[in-house]
Amino acid sequence: MRLNRLDLTRYGRFSDAQIDLPAPTGGTADVTVIYGPNEAGKSTAFTAFLELLYGMKPRDHPYDFRFKRSDLLVGGEIDLPNRGPVVLQRNSKRAQSLLDDQGRPVDETLLTAALHGLGRDDYVERFSLDDEGLRTGGARIASAKGDLGQLLHAGVSGLTSMAGTLDEMAARADKFHKKGGRGTALKLGKDRLTEIGRDLRETRLTPDRDRELGAAVAKALTAFELADADLITARLREAASKAAQIWYDTSKEISALDGALASYPDGPDLRKGAAEQIARLVASTTEKTNRIAEADDNIAAHAAVIADNPPDPAADALAAELAQLDQLTFDGAPLMARATTARSDLGNRISDRDGLRHQIDQTLARLSCSDVPMSSLAIAAHQLEDLAQAAQAVVTAQTAVSSTANAVTSAKKQQGAAPPEPQDLSPLQAAWDRWQTVADLTVQQNAVAVETGRLATAVAGLPTTWSALVDAGLPARETLLEHTQDMLAVTTKRDSAQAELDARDVEYRLAQSRRLADEAGSSAIDAAMTAQARRLRDTAWQTHRATLSVPSANDFEAAMHNDDDAQASFNAGADARGQLATAHRDENAAQVLRDKAQDRLERLNQDRDTLIAQSARLAGSLGLAHDTPAAAFSDRHAALDHAAKSATQLANAKADLETLSDRRSSVCMDLTAAAKLVGIACSKSDLPGHVHAALTLQDSVRQTWAKWDSANQSITELEEIAAQAAADNETADSALTALTATLPVAGRTAQDLIAALPDLRSLQRLHSDHEKISGRIEALKRADAQLCASAVRINTIAPDDDDPNSNPLAVIDQARSRVACANSASLRRGSAQVLHSREVITKRTASDAIQRAQSDLQACFQDQGAQDLLPPARIALLTERDALRADRKRLDAVRTVARTGAKTALFDTELAMLPDAARAAGVQQLLDDAQEIRDRARDAHREAERLYQEAYDASDRSELATEQATLLEELRDGARRAAVARLGVLAAKGALRRLATERRTTMLRDVEKAFVAITDPAWASVDVWSQAEGEKLVGVQPDGSVVPVDMMSTGTMGQLYFALRVAGYRSFARDLGPLPMILDDIMETFDDGRAKASLQLCADIGTSGQAILFTHHAHLVDLARATIDGVTIVDMPS
Amino acid sequence: MRLIVSADTHLGSPIRSAALRNLALGDRLKQASRDTFKDIVDLAIVENVDALVLAGDIFDSEFPDLKSRAFLVTQLLRAGDAGVPTVLIRGNHDALLDHTAQGDLGPNIHLLQKNTPSVELGGVAFHGLSFEKAHVSKSFLPDYPAPSPGLINVGLMHTSLGGTHGHDPYAPCPEHDLLAHGYDLWCLGHIHAPFERRSGPVLAVMPGIPQPRHFGERLGGSVAIVTLGQGAPELEWRNVGHLRFVETKVDLTDCTDQQEVLRVLGKALHDAQDPQRDTAMRLRVVTARYTADDLRALANELLEGIDGVYLDKIKTSPPDTPIDDRADDLLRLMREELHEAGFQQASAQVLEDLRSALPARIRDALADDALDDLLEDALTEVSLSLHGMDTQ
Repeated sequence: MRLNRLDLTRYGRFSDAQIDLPAPTGGTADVTVIYGPNEAGKSTAFTAFLELLYGMKPRDHPYDFRFKRSDLLVGGEIDLPNRGPVVLQRNSKRAQSLLDDQGRPVDETLLTAALHGLGRDDYVERFSLDDEGLRTGGARIASAKGDLGQLLHAGVSGLTSMAGTLDEMAARADKFHKKGGRGTALKLGKDRLTEIGRDLRETRLTPDRDRELGAAVAKALTAFELADADLITARLREAASKAAQIWYDTSKEISALDGALASYPDGPDLRKGAAEQIARLVASTTEKTNRIAEADDNIAAHAAVIADNPPDPAADALAAELAQLDQLTFDGAPLMARATTARSDLGNRISDRDGLRHQIDQTLARLSCSDVPMSSLAIAAHQLEDLAQAAQAVVTAQTAVSSTANAVTSAKKQQGAAPPEPQDLSPLQAAWDRWQTVADLTVQQNAVAVETGRLATAVAGLPTTWSALVDAGLPARETLLEHTQDMLAVTTKRDSAQAELDARDVEYRLAQSRRLADEAGSSAIDAAMTAQARRLRDTAWQTHRATLSVPSANDFEAAMHNDDDAQASFNAGADARGQLATAHRDENAAQVLRDKAQDRLERLNQDRDTLIAQSARLAGSLGLAHDTPAAAFSDRHAALDHAAKSATQLANAKADLETLSDRRSSVCMDLTAAAKLVGIACSKSDLPGHVHAALTLQDSVRQTWAKWDSANQSITELEEIAAQAAADNETADSALTALTATLPVAGRTAQDLIAALPDLRSLQRLHSDHEKISGRIEALKRADAQLCASAVRINTIAPDDDDPNSNPLAVIDQARSRVACANSASLRRGSAQVLHSREVITKRTASDAIQRAQSDLQACFQDQGAQDLLPPARIALLTERDALRADRKRLDAVRTVARTGAKTALFDTELAMLPDAARAAGVQQLLDDAQEIRDRARDAHREAERLYQEAYDASDRSELATEQATLLEELRDGARRAAVARLGVLAAKGALRRLATERRTTMLRDVEKAFVAITDPAWASVDVWSQAEGEKLVGVQPDGSVVPVDMMSTGTMGQLYFALRVAGYRSFARDLGPLPMILDDIMETFDDGRAKASLQLCADIGTSGQAILFTHHAHLVDLARATIDGVTIVDMPS
Repeated sequence: MRLIVSADTHLGSPIRSAALRNLALGDRLKQASRDTFKDIVDLAIVENVDALVLAGDIFDSEFPDLKSRAFLVTQLLRAGDAGVPTVLIRGNHDALLDHTAQGDLGPNIHLLQKNTPSVELGGVAFHGLSFEKAHVSKSFLPDYPAPSPGLINVGLMHTSLGGTHGHDPYAPCPEHDLLAHGYDLWCLGHIHAPFERRSGPVLAVMPGIPQPRHFGERLGGSVAIVTLGQGAPELEWRNVGHLRFVETKVDLTDCTDQQEVLRVLGKALHDAQDPQRDTAMRLRVVTARYTADDLRALANELLEGIDGVYLDKIKTSPPDTPIDDRADDLLRLMREELHEAGFQQASAQVLEDLRSALPARIRDALADDALDDLLEDALTEVSLSLHGMDTQ
């Protein structure tokens, strides 16, 4: 594959840009240096190339800043093996993004086949190298420690991490399991599994254990129930003992109380609350007596107040008049509140109005309008502003007219006189352009030379009749490939068929021998003998049943045994017969399979003979001996095909050269004729010079004429602008005249009106203020008249010394004071009348309460003795008596409850034993003992139940079972992954050994050549050492000393890495054909010597395939030009 | 009559998945089989069915687990109290149902076996035979009672039928013989994937394991509700179980950076969410760049924000590209190496070394017949690791 051109149609900052990478001519190296400063888009171009090959990034595209991702488009011309140059484009669609030059979708396999299925990452790793990769590549291959296989793999693939990867995989496997390893995942997992298994076994609740624990619970429960019964008995005895003691003690107290009660008066028990009620009645009688005396004093005092506050007869009329006055308002507020200030404000307002009138008269005089009514010049604000704008518009338009007239005059002065007009030389120019395209034949001549060389190379090694073979027609390449594959397939199948036949034959012989062995064995008793034994047994049974004798019984028993033996033998024989039948079937089946294998082998032999005959025919058509192996057909076919194409290309190049020569003669004649038309006549050799001079002179004349014509157009435009300004001035003047037509200032100029605007605005404001203050004065006069009228009416109701017209406010204030005094006296009089009535009622209520208390006291002492005592002493005595009676009753209840709460028999026994000081302690001791025994039995029962429950709960170890299952699953997965890692390391190491063997010859030679070139003169060659751990690469210095790779300096290792990559590229190109190698500024840190050596390696790549070197260093471009013969230099497009 | 048909509950059997390393999930699912059985009883009560049918392998324990038995009895008595009797048979895992060793199950629970192979409930005759020992290699069908005339006949059988991949033959019985026996409905157990078979008006239903325990049982998580009446039985399936196993394939071939990988993985994980139950997910990832360990780390990061989804396993495979063997030297040479006798001997030794160190129960993971798969994974692993490490 070769990249001929890269199109950056819409990509990154590029739009319709191209980078041409022409193929080298003359057998030079295929190296293109693409130069561009930083940020010129070299990385963009590299990414575009990759996306052309592999498709665009589906989202977050780094180069969609100028064009939307959906509009991105790259393309190029790619030279594909067996196909030739193809123009392709790539857009950003997810499917069918690869297009041809007409925008039609193209199958991706077109590229994937040419790329040999390599993915984008593989391509970048193998076929690109930047400065960073070169500098770090050396350090990264150090981990290979010189291992030949790993180094060659790094060179071929670009991947440098093989050693680390394999170490990491091995470590991962060891982490899971390593012989003798203590901390491995497997060991830890197994330990944990052991623990889990032990825990599960120990906590398992077996049926035996279940029964054992259940029996223990039942036994403990029985013991507990017995102890509990004993405790209940002890508690009953203790209760009976206590009840007897209570009965004994309370009986003695009741006898003492009966003696004390004999000295108190008779009578029923006082009802509940009687003492408190009597105390309340006595206190109430005393309190009510005192209240009656106090009421008499209060009644006399209230009568005196009523007499001191008589009513005023004129108060109501005055209050009505004042209320009416208070309803009057001025400026939205009550009239009375504003009356004083309004009367004093009236004079000030009249003075202000007179001042304003004076200012207006002065302004009118300044405007020269003293005789004009003020209202005719008080113009509204918006009208005044319209007037100002109209006047200003007139002034502006006048200024524009003046300035444009000046500009026209000035431009005419600068233009000057008109120059001569240019001639029409377009026929001569067209003939000259055609001549330029055919002037040089060098390119076509070089192409013929290159194709001639290529044809010579292509036919080297071919028979002299190659041309005849080609003319006779070569067999199709697919036919050869198919024939080779058929040959290989039939050979493989035949070998396989032979092996199968051998195996089937062995199986058949085995089956045959098994059948013969089974046939040789005994089948024991047959079915007839068994039937005979059964008949004899039946006969013996019939006989025995008829006779029922001992001999017949013995006969029957013997017959029965014989029958059983016969049956058993028959069964054994049946197995043997079945086995023999199986052996027969197996033998037949094996024979059928063997015969089929034989048939297949014979068919394949026939197929092979047919193919050998076809081989001979094909070899003849390719000019090869008839017994040439089919594997050689493909190379010969490719060589003949290549020679044929080279011959075609040479013929095409010669035809191109001839066509161009013919066209050159024709164009030369056209040019001579066109020159004559404009007066040029000279020899054929001088003609191009004369024509060029005439065309140059004509260009100068054309430029002078164009300049004068441009000035003329400018003057015309200025005159149009002046006319427009005059029209604008006229329009503005008309508008101003219309606005002032009805005003006293009509006829004044715009400038005069602008000067009068401040006075007109002032006059408008003064007129407004004058109108407002006049209205205010009239309102004040109306309010004062209302106030005086009200004062006159008040003076009529209650005459006063003051004049109501001259001092109305004094009259009104006097009336307000009189009304206030009358209201105050009325309030005091009313209050005294209410209190007087209330005291009369209180006195009457207290007398009634005293009479009810006396009646209640008599009821409380009904049927009680001690009538001679006052109520407080009498009630105290009766209360003492009732308290003694209550104590006796309580004690009787206590002894009754104690007796009824105890078992009768036990109570009687315990009562009979009283008084006995030691009895209670003895009973308590019995109870304590029983309690302790019961508690122990209860605890034992609870413990047995707890143990049972614990064992039951412990048997549910689902979390352990889950952990066990999970752990096993993890170990299963871990084992699999460890096996994968170990097998991977094993396979990779084997593959690297194979790689070293396979590539040793070709790659080592290339590595050495590149390494020596780039390090010259420090290293003379490279060599391979065989060691126990494998083969290692070493460097050999000019003095013969040997240095292992892992002992080289970092810089030298970097150079070795570059050499490996060059060799890897050559190896790939040799096996599969070249792909473009992208080198991105790999020499920016090199000195000139190393850079030159590196460029030579680039040339080396270019001899095997295509090398594309991006750089932003101009000196590297010069160096490349000097170092690499035929190098192409291309600038990055702008 | 409506029946709920279940089988293979395997009470007490733990779930086997690396997903249960999540502590919350592990704690939630340690009783998953019991919780699911409780759900089935709830469903029977809510649906007001006429009987609960259990076709064997109610238990799983290799030793007597009395608590599981107590749980079963409690649940079946609960169903009985709600008017739902239970008809059941013993499967090859059901030693705990042996009444001679463990006692009777209780009222409204009918265990069908050799001496009591039939019971009639509401006009329907149930017939069944139980496993008397763990392995039975002959068919039970000849010993099943003849259909009861005038009644609907329902058979319960624990059988591997004609044999199913991954299951040993247990009481094998050809399907056509079963369907021709004269019963109207067969309630089957033993095969953990659900399915139904019909022959005319006869239905045989394998309800599947209600709570799948590992990835191989991911088709389970179901019970069947069968309605019997005139004509063929009607069947409807119901999903049960607290955890399901899901496998999803994810293609990362077009992902050019880690953000895109996270987006694609995140979508797959989100799509796996089931509001009704937790999900253990197995990811099959197509990638040429990321190792399983890389992807596991990314997926676990994403799962921090996704409820109810847990990672079971990740398996990677390279994209299916038509790469020219000659272009990938390492892969080509590794493949050639696989055919070398020396390599085959060494790889067999690697496998044997690891296998012998494993607990016996999981040695099958590295059986000889797994070698080809392991080698294919090994080659992929080398390629991915090589590219992955190089890009870091």
